[in-house]
Amino acid sequence: MMSLPLGIEHFLTMVLVAALPTGIWRIGGVLLARRLSNQSEIFEWVRFVATALLAGVVAKLLANPSGVLALAPLWGRMGAISLAFIAFMLCKRSVFVGVLVGEVMVITSVYLTAP
Amino acid sequence: MLNDQSDQIPAEWMTAHFIKGMRDALRFPAWVVAASLVGVGPLAQSAGYSIEMAIASTLFVWAGPAQVLFFSGISAGMALPALAFVIGLSSMRFLPMTMALMPLLPMKDHSLPVQLTIGHMASVTVWAESLRRLPAIPEAQRVAYYLGFGAGCIGLSMISTGLGFMLSSAVPQAFGAGLLFLTPVFFTCSIAAGARNAADWLAIASGLFLEPVLSAWMGPEFDLLVLGLVGGTAAYLLKRRLKPHQGLFSS
Repeated sequence: MMSLPLGIEHFLTMVLVAALPTGIWRIGGVLLARRLSNQSEIFEWVRFVATALLAGVVAKLLANPSGVLALAPLWGRMGAISLAFIAFMLCKRSVFVGVLVGEVMVITSVYLTAP
Repeated sequence: MLNDQSDQIPAEWMTAHFIKGMRDALRFPAWVVAASLVGVGPLAQSAGYSIEMAIASTLFVWAGPAQVLFFSGISAGMALPALAFVIGLSSMRFLPMTMALMPLLPMKDHSLPVQLTIGHMASVTVWAESLRRLPAIPEAQRVAYYLGFGAGCIGLSMISTGLGFMLSSAVPQAFGAGLLFLTPVFFTCSIAAGARNAADWLAIASGLFLEPVLSAWMGPEFDLLVLGLVGGTAAYLLKRRLKPHQGLFSS
């Protein structure tokens, strides 16, 4: 087989292995939505499915951390997300405050458990 | 309906709405997505990919968890078809997310390329913020606003991915952990910010608390699919028992 320049090979790999498997769902969503009336009750249900899925992705990212996030202990990750949520609710649902509190907690937990 | 106005609106108005969307994104949300993608740079570097490829992955994949999976998988020497499969499963959320955007954007009047661009820009941040912001914006201005918002998020994130690549050795590990933690904490706050009633909270809680149970029970492949269908349907049924017109993101 002819060998491709590294840049082109990497680009094709990225498109076929990452961009396409992700984009296919977005394209599917657009094509499905085109066939439905804007008033369709299905959209209501679909939005709840998306919300539950998103929350599931959060749980997955915290339970199986990738890269250096694995340096934060389980209690650090779970504690940080819980405190972030509490701070977020107490501060009139301020996303900024929630993110800030979570970040401080998780970074602290890495330093506390560092050897 | 204002559905057919997009042709009648002067072009400079559309530009103004595009810029307004971009400005709103750059006020805060774009910085969070951008920061959450800083971590992709170092991962791309250890996978042996160039800075251009790291930046291109933000433009073409535009999904933090998928990019992290991709570069980690390449580093670990995973077989490419298996990696593509894992990434595909992890990105399933985009199907219902893209669909749910539809009633808010008068997409039917736009060409398929515009619709696909709208779909491509739908990351969690753009999606959650759009569901919250778009209902308050006149229908004819929404697509321009949305495209500006998405372009602001993607543009800033391409810069941050490149910066992450260049600074990868200089970032302390605890800080790197903080960058990777941005995605889950921001997802949580974004979806919770739009919750209005018990059904919305049920969808969120079922996702958070059923996921560990389901993944232990049925493995890490199809747990999210089952979770979305079960949690989403339960929330929908609860919603139907509550008063109408108290939707998740409609005010």
